[in-house]
Amino acid sequence: MKRSLLILAVIAIAAILLGLALDPRSYGVRVLCLILMAAALGQAWNIVGGLANQISLGHAAFFGIGAYTSTVLQVQFELTPWIGMPIGAVLAAVAAGAIALPTMRLKGPYFALATLAFGEICRIGAQAMSGVTGGPQGLSVPFYGDSLAMMQFRQPGAYVPLFAALFFLVSAVFAVMSHGRLGYMLRAVRENEEAAEVTGIDTVRIKLTGAIISAACTALVGGLFAQFTFFIDPDTVFSTTEISIRAALIAIVGGVGLLWGPIVGALFVVLVEEFLNSTLSDALPGISPFLFGVALVVIVIARPEGLVSFRHLVTDRFGKKGKEA
Amino acid sequence: MTPLVQAILDGLLVGGVYGVVAVGLSLVFGVLGIVNFAQAEFLMLGMYVAWFAWSFLGLDPMLGAVLALAAGFMLGYVIQRLLVQRVMSSDHVAQIFLTVGLLAVMENGALMIFGPDFRSVQTDAQMISYRLGPFFISAVYLKAFVAAVAISVALWALLNRTWLGRAIRATAQDAPAAQLFGINTRWIYGIAFGLGAALTAFGGGIVLSFAPAYPTIGANYVVLMFTVVVLGGLGSVMGALLGGLLVGIVQSASTLVLPIQLQNLALFVIFIAVLALRPEGLLGKAAK
Repeated sequence: MKRSLLILAVIAIAAILLGLALDPRSYGVRVLCLILMAAALGQAWNIVGGLANQISLGHAAFFGIGAYTSTVLQVQFELTPWIGMPIGAVLAAVAAGAIALPTMRLKGPYFALATLAFGEICRIGAQAMSGVTGGPQGLSVPFYGDSLAMMQFRQPGAYVPLFAALFFLVSAVFAVMSHGRLGYMLRAVRENEEAAEVTGIDTVRIKLTGAIISAACTALVGGLFAQFTFFIDPDTVFSTTEISIRAALIAIVGGVGLLWGPIVGALFVVLVEEFLNSTLSDALPGISPFLFGVALVVIVIARPEGLVSFRHLVTDRFGKKGKEA
Repeated sequence: MTPLVQAILDGLLVGGVYGVVAVGLSLVFGVLGIVNFAQAEFLMLGMYVAWFAWSFLGLDPMLGAVLALAAGFMLGYVIQRLLVQRVMSSDHVAQIFLTVGLLAVMENGALMIFGPDFRSVQTDAQMISYRLGPFFISAVYLKAFVAAVAISVALWALLNRTWLGRAIRATAQDAPAAQLFGINTRWIYGIAFGLGAALTAFGGGIVLSFAPAYPTIGANYVVLMFTVVVLGGLGSVMGALLGGLLVGIVQSASTLVLPIQLQNLALFVIFIAVLALRPEGLLGKAAK
C-alpha cells in the first residue's frame, strides 16, 4: 500500500510540475485539469462500483449536490468553498445514506435502476427549487478575482495543484480502503454476498459505508468542478450520461476495481474526447459519446464473462501490478 | 371533482401508450432475463421512422407506427443475435454496460444522422376534441389509445394463440426444458428481443402524434418506462400494460397538486419505493 501511495504522490506532483511548465492560460493546462478531475471522479465511482460491484448509474446526484452546495453557500452567504465543499461532501454522504437504506438490498440491474432514478430525482429537484438553485437557468459562481481564499482563479493553470490534490486524496482513499479491512469485506460482498454474510460480515453496513465514502468523494469533485467552470446548471451537473455513465466508463475502460483503472481510463477518455471535440465535433456533434458507447460495447463483447475479468486481463499483462491494486 | 376526473381520463389515454412503450422492456426481461437500458432508444427510433413516413410519404403517425414496428423488429433482432446473445450467460455488470453502451451509440448516432432539431407532425386530429358531458377528449389521444389497445390485443393473441407465442412463453419459463422440446431458444431470444424493440418503436410512432421527435427523447422516457414495468412486475406483459395506465393517471393527476416541473418527481419516488418494497411488482408474483 505504501508503494501505491508513493506512486500516486509522484503522479500528483508530476502533474503539478507539468502544470507549472505549461502556459497557465493554455489549452493543454485545461486538458490536464480535466484529466485529473476525470480520474478523481472515476476513482470515487470505483469505490462502490469496483470494490463492491454495485453498479451505480446515479453518481451525478452526489456530484451535483457537491457542486450546488458550495456554490449556493457562496452566492447566499459568501462562504468560501474551502468550507462549502466539505459541507457538500457531508450532505452527499447523508443523501447516499438515505438512498442506500431502501436500495441496499437490491441486486444488479435493480440497484442500477434505483440509482439512475435517484440521479434524475435530484436533477428535477434542482430545477424545481429555483429559489435556491436558480432553476434550469443555472447558477454562476460569484467572481472575486484571483483569490486562494475563495478558491478561484482567472487562469486554469492555477487549478492544477487543486485538482492534483483532490486526485491524490480520492485515489489514496481508494488505495487505503482497497488494502484495508473494508476493502476486503467489500470484495467479499462482491464475490458472494451470502457467503460474506455467513462469515459474519454485516454486508449492509459495509455497503453503506462504501456508498457514503464514495458519495462524499464525488461531491468534492463536483464542488471543485463548479469552481473551475464558474457556472453550473441542473442538466450539466446532474447529467446521467455526462457524469454518472461517464464516471463508470472511466473506471471500466481502465479496469474496474483497480487503483490504476480510473487513471488510465481518464487519460484515454479525456484525450480522445478533447481530440474529437477539437477536430470533428463541429461537423459531427455527438461523435465522442458515440465512440465511447462503441468502446463500451466492444469491451463487453471482448470479455463476455464479465468486466470483473478485466482485473485478470491486467494481472496477466502486467504481472503482479494488477493484483496489488 | 371535474378536474380530477378529467385528469384521470387524460392520464388513462396517455397511459395506454406508456403501456405499449414499456411492454417491450418487460417482454425482453421476461424472456431473456436482461434489463435493457437502451430500450427507450427504440422509442426514439420509432418516432423518427414515423416522422419520415409522415414527411415523405404523407402517412399518418398511426400508419407510420406500423413501419416503425417493422424497423424496430429487424434492428432488435439483429442487435440480439450479434451482441446481446454473447452476454446471455454473463454476469449483470456486462449486461448492464452492453445495453448502456448501446444507449450511447443509438442516441448519439441519431444526433449525428438527424441533427438536434425537434421534428413534429401536424395532423387534423390535433385540432379536434370530443365533448362528453363536462369532459373533453382530445382526438389525438383517443386515436393513440385505440392504437395502443389494438397492438396490445395483437400481442396477447400472438403470445397466447400461436405456436410462436407458446415457444416464447416456454423459453421464458424454462429455457433448457424448452430446448429439449425442440425449440431453438437462441432464435426465440432473437425474436423476443426483436418483438420487444418493435413494440417500443410502435409506441414511439404513436407518441409522435402528440410529441416532437429529437435524439435525446429516449432519456426522458427511461425512468418512466422502468417505473411502468416495475409497477407491473418486471417481466410481466399484462403488468406492464396495467402499469402504463397507472403511471399515466398518477402523472396526470399529480399536475393538479404539484407544479409542472415536479410532474415526474412523483413517479420517481413511487419507482424507488416500489423497487425497495416490492421489487416483484404491485400485481403479485412476477412472471419471472
